[in-house]
Amino acid sequence: MNASMRRMIRDDCSRVLDGGIPGLKALQGGVLLMTGGTGFMGTWVTEMVAYLNDHHGLGLRLMLLSDRASRFGASAPHLAGRRDVQLIECDVLNLVELPPEVNWIIHAAADPDARSHASDPLRTIRLNVRGTDSLLQAASRLGNVRKILYVSSGLVYGTQPPDMANIPESFVGGLDCTVPLQAYAEGKRAAETVCAAYRTQIRLPIVTVRPFAFLGPYQLLDRPWAANNFISESLRGGPIRIQGDGQSVRSYMYPADMALWLLTILAQGPAGAVYNLGSPHGITLIDLARKIVPLFPQPIKIVIRTLGPNAPRASRLVPDTSLAQKTLGLEIKTDLDAAIRLTLQWHHFLHAEKVTA
Amino acid sequence: MPDIRISDPTLRDGNHAVAHQLTAAQIARYAQAAEAAGVPIVEVGHGNGIGASSLQVGLSREDDLTMLRAAREKLSRSALGIHCIPGFATINKDLRPALDAGVDVVRVASHCTEADITQRHIDFVRERGKEAFGVLMMSHMAPVEVLVEQAAKMEAYGAEAVILMDSAGAMLPPDVAQRVGGLTRHLSIPVGFHAHNNLGMAIANSVTAAQAGATILDGTARGFGAGAGNTQLEILVAVLERMGISTGIDLYGILDLGDLAEGELIPAVPTVKSISIVSGLSGVFSAFSKHVDRIAKQYRADPRDVFFELGRRKVVAGQEDLILEVAKQLAERSQTV
Repeated sequence: MNASMRRMIRDDCSRVLDGGIPGLKALQGGVLLMTGGTGFMGTWVTEMVAYLNDHHGLGLRLMLLSDRASRFGASAPHLAGRRDVQLIECDVLNLVELPPEVNWIIHAAADPDARSHASDPLRTIRLNVRGTDSLLQAASRLGNVRKILYVSSGLVYGTQPPDMANIPESFVGGLDCTVPLQAYAEGKRAAETVCAAYRTQIRLPIVTVRPFAFLGPYQLLDRPWAANNFISESLRGGPIRIQGDGQSVRSYMYPADMALWLLTILAQGPAGAVYNLGSPHGITLIDLARKIVPLFPQPIKIVIRTLGPNAPRASRLVPDTSLAQKTLGLEIKTDLDAAIRLTLQWHHFLHAEKVTA
Repeated sequence: MPDIRISDPTLRDGNHAVAHQLTAAQIARYAQAAEAAGVPIVEVGHGNGIGASSLQVGLSREDDLTMLRAAREKLSRSALGIHCIPGFATINKDLRPALDAGVDVVRVASHCTEADITQRHIDFVRERGKEAFGVLMMSHMAPVEVLVEQAAKMEAYGAEAVILMDSAGAMLPPDVAQRVGGLTRHLSIPVGFHAHNNLGMAIANSVTAAQAGATILDGTARGFGAGAGNTQLEILVAVLERMGISTGIDLYGILDLGDLAEGELIPAVPTVKSISIVSGLSGVFSAFSKHVDRIAKQYRADPRDVFFELGRRKVVAGQEDLILEVAKQLAERSQTV
């Protein structure tokens, strides 16, 4: 990763932290273990903690637990080599014991790739449910756990009702539990119940976030999600291909905001609370494509593919984030235009790095 | 934008009908006329798709790249498509050079219950920025619930459409309505349909598919294709036009294309022969006909009995070697009796 990319991430962290870090003081001098620590979320949390330690003297030690920990040195050497970052190679399904000095935990180990859910729904469920159980069993043997943040999913709500602009945390929703492709969402729902059981029976202080969609650096463009597709198609010169009428609505949070929200909810969220994590500002897929196109010098075509008269109606998946905003003072510091611009800048840096290599 | 996107596999499925002997010159002439008629997708290659030329299913006269380049030179507005069955087609040996040769649409196909095998090929096509369709072959063999699950996998892998193939020409219109309707209700990507004419249902089934929500339909000039042939493209376009469903294809152009195909490519225009009816009734892949005919003669078995026994065993494409075993057993049994 080149200096321009590292500078860009530092600038992002600095920008979203411009109001100072009063909400994070509880983490001062602590030890935070994060499962799924070398994935997209883990990398961003590590970037944010590194910035906080370097520029705000937070003194938070990080332990990144992952079954791919040994590869982190290659993908993010500037983070893997830090003295305040420790890598632990372990599959969360095999987890028995945690380092005794751990007092904060973020449990983010999961595989959010829909392709894996389709091909191996059993592993998907196992990872979400048994992985959470293993982690919490191990956590229950620690002497000084201040808080555990469980990273669930916005997919637990199922289908957002068409007349509901933003899904609040109180929406119970529901999923068709007979559909194997729901393995991820059902696994996350069940894991939330596992958390609730550990909270009531073992008295573990667990708070939950339900993440929605993100757009920004460190995201892999090969994932078949709309924003990723639009950007990778644009980087190749287009066209951007949209299935259906383009009226489905999604929202995107920039990952620097995501990292700050995660740490703040960990530090401040009361046990038992659930927070949506994402942007409350929905956009149709056609408008998202229209925002991306002008950022390229060459003309990029947008192609709409018809779905026919029996096609499912356009869907909507946009969170209500007022709970986190009102009670924890969190804000969206990076709007969608900036998120798209920064994401493209990141991929230009990445491309330049590959060409140089 | 047209209501229906037509994909024309004349130069691929038709290759089955001539034991994969289409020449580069024939391909070029047909592609040029298809472009002129405004056919959206022109599919080219060995009958079983890229990488399939082999003793098992038949050797192509031309290699894949020669066929693709011959078509590519003549296509500008029309997209160049290929059929791609993982196993026959490997990514580095077959798919990568095909995309380098200018393929626009890759139809990644599996047996209707085995969509898992399509993930890596779909991934690769999407990474290269080309259009990837998933194709579920022999879709009469699975109930609608299974087809929906398999198609949903393809959608999760990044397929931009899923095509149901009635590879044996075994379906009747209610079967099509149920299956295509099931997919359109559950998927967020276009659904397509590819018919064979074993029971004389190809046009009726294609129209039913459109009425059930399919927005991609396959059709071939004069129905040139495996076994009893496919949906005859000229008729399909005309019927859809009569129904007020647009395809963006010029009617005179497509009629001329049919005439050209009959003159240039097709030694015998497909008819529904007795053996094809049996293939449809027994639910066995249409392209087995030539092999069954030849092997049954060799062993003096009744080819109709061979088909029904193959159907009982639920054979699928790639299991052509079983024809020999079945014909031999039937011949032995009749001698014993």
